Amino acid sequence: MAVADSLALLTLPSTTLEELPQPAVRDALQYFERDLITIPGPRNPVAYAAVRDGAPNRPIVHPQLGHGGDPINHYRYSDGGVREAGDQDLPPKTIDVIAVQRADVLARLETQLSTGERRTGSEGATFLIVPQLTVEWDTTALSSTLPNADELAAISSVLPEPMTVLAGGQPATYAHEWGLSHDGSTVRVPVAGLGATDRDESKIAQCTCTQHGNVGAEAVDADQFGLRALHGVGRSTADQLRKHGCQTTRDVRDLSVSELTERPGIGRTTAEKIHAHAAVIDSSEPLVLTNKTPVKTCDGRPPLCLDIETDGLTPTIIWQIGVYDPATDSHQAFIEKTNPTDPAPVLEAFITWLLANHRDRTLLTWNGHRFDYRYIRQFLDRYHPEYVEAWDGLWTYDLYRWAVRDGNALLPGRTNKLDHVARATGYESGDTALTGAQTAAAYQRFMRNPKDPASEPDWERHRAYCEDDCRALWYVYRTVMEAPRRDMTDSGAGGADGQQAGLTDF
Amino acid sequence: MTEIPTTETDIQAKIDVTGTALVETFPRTGLTSESEYIDIIELPAKPANTVPAGDVLVPTLADPYPYDLFSHQATALDALGAGDNVTVTTSTSSGKTHIYGLQIARNLLEADVLNPDGTRAKDATTASTALCVYPTKALTKDQHEALEELYDQLGLDVRVRVYDGDTTGDRRAIREGADVILTNFAGLNVYLEHHDRWSRFYSGLDLVAVDESHTYTGVEGMHVAWILRRLHRVVDYWGGTPQYVLTSATIGNPRVHSETLLNAPVTVVDEDGSPHGRRDLVFWNPPPRAKAENETGDPASALEGETDTDERAVTERVPASVEAPRIFDHLTARSVRTLLFCPSRKLTELSVQRAADHRRSTPRASGRSSSGDYAAYNAGLGRRTRHAREHQFKTGALTGLATTSALELGIDIGSLDATILMGYPGQRQAFWQRIGRAGRGASRSLAVMVGDHRTLDQYVMNNPEYVLETDVEDAVVDISNNAVFASHVLCAADEIALDEADIDTFADEERLRAATKMWREAGFVDGYLQGAVHYSGPRRPQTRVNLYGTTDIDYQLRLADGVDRERWGLPDELDLEPVDRNRAYRDYHEGAVRLQHGQQFEVVTVDEDRPQPVIELEPVDRPYYTRTRNKVTVLDATSERSREINGFTLHFGRGTVFVHHHAYDEMYIGNSEPKRQLIPTNTPPILMDTQLCWLEVPEEIEAALIRKYREYGVETGVGQEQSGVAHLGYIAGLHAAEHATIQTAPLELRVDKNDLGGLATLVMDTHYAHPEHDDLADSIGDSFEAARAVLERRSRELGEQTASGWFIYDGVDGGLGFARAIYEQFEALAERARDQLRDCQCGQPNGCPACTFDENCGNDNKPLLRASAVDVLEQLLGEADRDDLEAYLPDEYGGERRPTLFYS
Repeated sequence: MAVADSLALLTLPSTTLEELPQPAVRDALQYFERDLITIPGPRNPVAYAAVRDGAPNRPIVHPQLGHGGDPINHYRYSDGGVREAGDQDLPPKTIDVIAVQRADVLARLETQLSTGERRTGSEGATFLIVPQLTVEWDTTALSSTLPNADELAAISSVLPEPMTVLAGGQPATYAHEWGLSHDGSTVRVPVAGLGATDRDESKIAQCTCTQHGNVGAEAVDADQFGLRALHGVGRSTADQLRKHGCQTTRDVRDLSVSELTERPGIGRTTAEKIHAHAAVIDSSEPLVLTNKTPVKTCDGRPPLCLDIETDGLTPTIIWQIGVYDPATDSHQAFIEKTNPTDPAPVLEAFITWLLANHRDRTLLTWNGHRFDYRYIRQFLDRYHPEYVEAWDGLWTYDLYRWAVRDGNALLPGRTNKLDHVARATGYESGDTALTGAQTAAAYQRFMRNPKDPASEPDWERHRAYCEDDCRALWYVYRTVMEAPRRDMTDSGAGGADGQQAGLTDF
Repeated sequence: MTEIPTTETDIQAKIDVTGTALVETFPRTGLTSESEYIDIIELPAKPANTVPAGDVLVPTLADPYPYDLFSHQATALDALGAGDNVTVTTSTSSGKTHIYGLQIARNLLEADVLNPDGTRAKDATTASTALCVYPTKALTKDQHEALEELYDQLGLDVRVRVYDGDTTGDRRAIREGADVILTNFAGLNVYLEHHDRWSRFYSGLDLVAVDESHTYTGVEGMHVAWILRRLHRVVDYWGGTPQYVLTSATIGNPRVHSETLLNAPVTVVDEDGSPHGRRDLVFWNPPPRAKAENETGDPASALEGETDTDERAVTERVPASVEAPRIFDHLTARSVRTLLFCPSRKLTELSVQRAADHRRSTPRASGRSSSGDYAAYNAGLGRRTRHAREHQFKTGALTGLATTSALELGIDIGSLDATILMGYPGQRQAFWQRIGRAGRGASRSLAVMVGDHRTLDQYVMNNPEYVLETDVEDAVVDISNNAVFASHVLCAADEIALDEADIDTFADEERLRAATKMWREAGFVDGYLQGAVHYSGPRRPQTRVNLYGTTDIDYQLRLADGVDRERWGLPDELDLEPVDRNRAYRDYHEGAVRLQHGQQFEVVTVDEDRPQPVIELEPVDRPYYTRTRNKVTVLDATSERSREINGFTLHFGRGTVFVHHHAYDEMYIGNSEPKRQLIPTNTPPILMDTQLCWLEVPEEIEAALIRKYREYGVETGVGQEQSGVAHLGYIAGLHAAEHATIQTAPLELRVDKNDLGGLATLVMDTHYAHPEHDDLADSIGDSFEAARAVLERRSRELGEQTASGWFIYDGVDGGLGFARAIYEQFEALAERARDQLRDCQCGQPNGCPACTFDENCGNDNKPLLRASAVDVLEQLLGEADRDDLEAYLPDEYGGERRPTLFYS
């Protein structure tokens, strides 16, 4: 999902690669957009070779290896392509990606940049990869430290364009703008993570680096690639399958269920599920496993697709509620644009509109039972208790819960996030270049300075982001409704002839 | 005197439940109540002070309530009625449960949840709810029954429900329907995450009862303080405005302790109106150990000649574990219903065996069969066995139970006449709690405390009036540990976003801003207090709160695979609390042999290469135990507060403690002689940022004592080769004083001395942070030798410009508040320490396990010297004339160069 004027940086931490079989590496490389690939974390020639082998034509940044003798790698994105930076004909609007081998090279980089020995596009953005940079914190002293802060501040103040540090030791979800002191003043240095983390998880992430210096990360668990992407395939089952020549999910699809059950440790039920999921991933088409439907409606009209935006995961305000009505192909948004400290008005606008106009309609969300419905109810309980009973009387459904948690369907995405599932099923998104975290952060800035025009969000962009999610939900819902129902026979061919056996027989 | 022939009936006749009767009938030659090692204190009966229930309660409650109210119950209910938070600190079984039980009933009637006739007016209401929190699940069950019984008596239809880890069935129905929910803090910590599911309950919350609140000290206390603050935020969010009622055993500082836990003012109710009968306390110091007697307590040899030993030099006594079962047998044989409290499960079993041995070998008692039977009772027995023994005791089939602290609280076993304590339980509160089990209401009772040969026990034996002192131990709870605070900040942000409204109500501004900034920069929260701070880290931060430690890493203790539980008679659950890293390295390195619940275990593996480290134990039967050696020093100490005491300077502050549990010794159990020594542990050193208290000795006292004790060498316990070290006699005194102040700390404070460490040093100033130096802790890496080298260099630079003295530190990262409490109570501690060092009857210059020795000493309890320690402490207390030292003062200071010496 490369956005115009942005660079797709795929990050494969070397610690993650160490655990990953080669077919899974290839799978990940195919799944993500990648203008440029980086391998943060400790030096690892085998990891480099694995990526080199899987993506022979892409530039790979792993300066820790020290090949070529130069401890600084420099790539440039302009005119839709990435190439190694030379100094000839430098256009001003570029995205420069500079990677240092070690943190102690940063001082040399600063000298090169300040003397003009190394140049960057002055009207674009520069991203600086520091492969092992990790924020340190000390809970006894209640303080945290960004190592090499002095050098990073110095480099940032040399460059006229925005500079963002990509820290190899921080998780991909990490984004924080540090205020670093340099020459007596404060330099703002945004730092984003590249996914290497010791927090017990190993992830692969695609970072969308924009010309404005922003980074949007999409992280996926490493075990969602290769054979382990399949439901019911853990480490040992994956080993079993590989021993018998299955390297990819396609290999699994091409086997029959009875061939799968011949492998030790794979029972019939598991085999059926693994096989079905392999077909789903291969075809990008969901598969419904049961006779149940995700939604009941009272009059056959489609459900209203709902999505909320909050200021964070523990909301103090639901500042946007978007409702897409497929029956009329219209979208209604309720947004609090003036008083971010008062959650009541926007909630009241929404609930009165809903009850007045659509009380006979069914509501549909993605993961609403854990988020959207939970917080709407919590906020009604607190701010408009008079509507709680009426709200409780509405028919609310959660497509995520139905498909994933209740196991009624297999979906083709590598994560169960709505945008991943929507993309995997072929939804063309509206390109707002926003993530949920970014839209929350934008509202947080507004909350801190509601009177300052500079911190006012681009309301139309955020409205469009929310609407896009509502429409994506409708798209996924329709795809699920039209998806094939499971063939429960042992043919393994993936056809649908309606015979009942297997899962639902229990 | 004519020997009167005894008859069957005579033996079985119940003797008087008095100390004198016990001493007179006990079969030991020459034993009288004047014996050197027996002390009897007779406590008079105290009548009840009561108030008619109708004076305090509305008729709906007063009429069916079958008793008058004790005065403290009435006072507490009045204060609750006036809207105060209340702490009730009165004796065991003084009806504290009824205080909050009745307040809950009042609230439900006032809120019209209940009709005046006790029937329900409303279902699942938000009008009035109550939360009761208990320290254990067992106590929760017990109190559940107590509350149900109360409401039965009152004829009220109150829905009281337990909600904890054992709750099965419809949890949602409890959250949405109960009037009163009973739980524990470990559960509450986790339940706060989904507070929206509790909105009904929290929005009506009128009362929070914290039962046995005195148990919340140290690490657990600070976690509880933060969980209560988090609870308060959540309840406030849902519109509940609860009052708090804390019930506590008697502690020295109920107001400070409660207010620290709650962050709110409390009214203290401490005038106990409950009655008790006459009670005799017998302090029974076992006789000096006769040569022939061994650990297994062969009573035949123990019966004679024990009092002949020279009483001026007692270095060893018959262990309490041998002596107490004899008394237990003696009392039960005479139909005195008795509980014997033992420190371990295994000892409950052993005690029953030893008591039986005693009965067989006591000539007068032979030939009897079933009367005066006893049995063991502990949590390791199956539930069915336990219930059977409770029932047998209640009905009189058993006359005695040898029990662990399992019977200390709650469980109903009927009335009893006597209690025996095998060793001092460590805290006055536990002492009273246990002996309070005997003599229900106004009946007469007997308590026998059998001392062990340890500092605390012998202090109490020498000073029995100590247990009667009214200024009981302070309960230490401290919320200044930043690591613990930081973990609860994450939980709070996950529950409800933090903002500026949390300043002061949750934490002070500076700390809250620092913590949210740190977590934001580290990537665990986003947003600012000015707007809202949201949690954004890995899910469920509540599950990473470690109630047993200050960091989120603790070491789980587990039985190794393939252990035959049957063969070793082990219960399914080892029931060992996890330990933090310092304790793990000290007590559970590979090869360590530890006694747990009376069973020896050897550590077979320590697996640290995982998020939750695991220590595997194997039951063994070894002739030895292990003792860890350590190298300790203090680095970069910074004083935050200081005060003068008779020319000494006492400091409280922070610093880094370097501890390396580098080696261990195997010691024979029988005689404590070494089997193998200095076996490497292969564990790395630990650096702890923690809280410290330290004392600087004034120059002229140091100079005089150095001269006074300059001739001391091997007397301090060191070998010949070290006996010539300069200033040895003096530093040995500082070392002994350091040990004694730590060992006696539990006499003043509710602290676990295993969480304290110390360092006596001749070069105090080298351990301080200096503005012109970088912090040492950053530069020495993992090397004790590097640390020592730097300290020696500093010592050379300082020359004689340094004080001497000793440090006491909290042995836990971030600190526990113990060192701070010791700073505040230092004189009282020093006095206890001095008394014990001076009065111990061991006759050894370097002391014994009852005065100077510390089982956690890293230097093999060498060098130690009682005399110079007593001198230092008396000077500190202002009880010795400073002029007495004149004679020892050199004409000019200096002389021998000061060695860089420090001992932990």
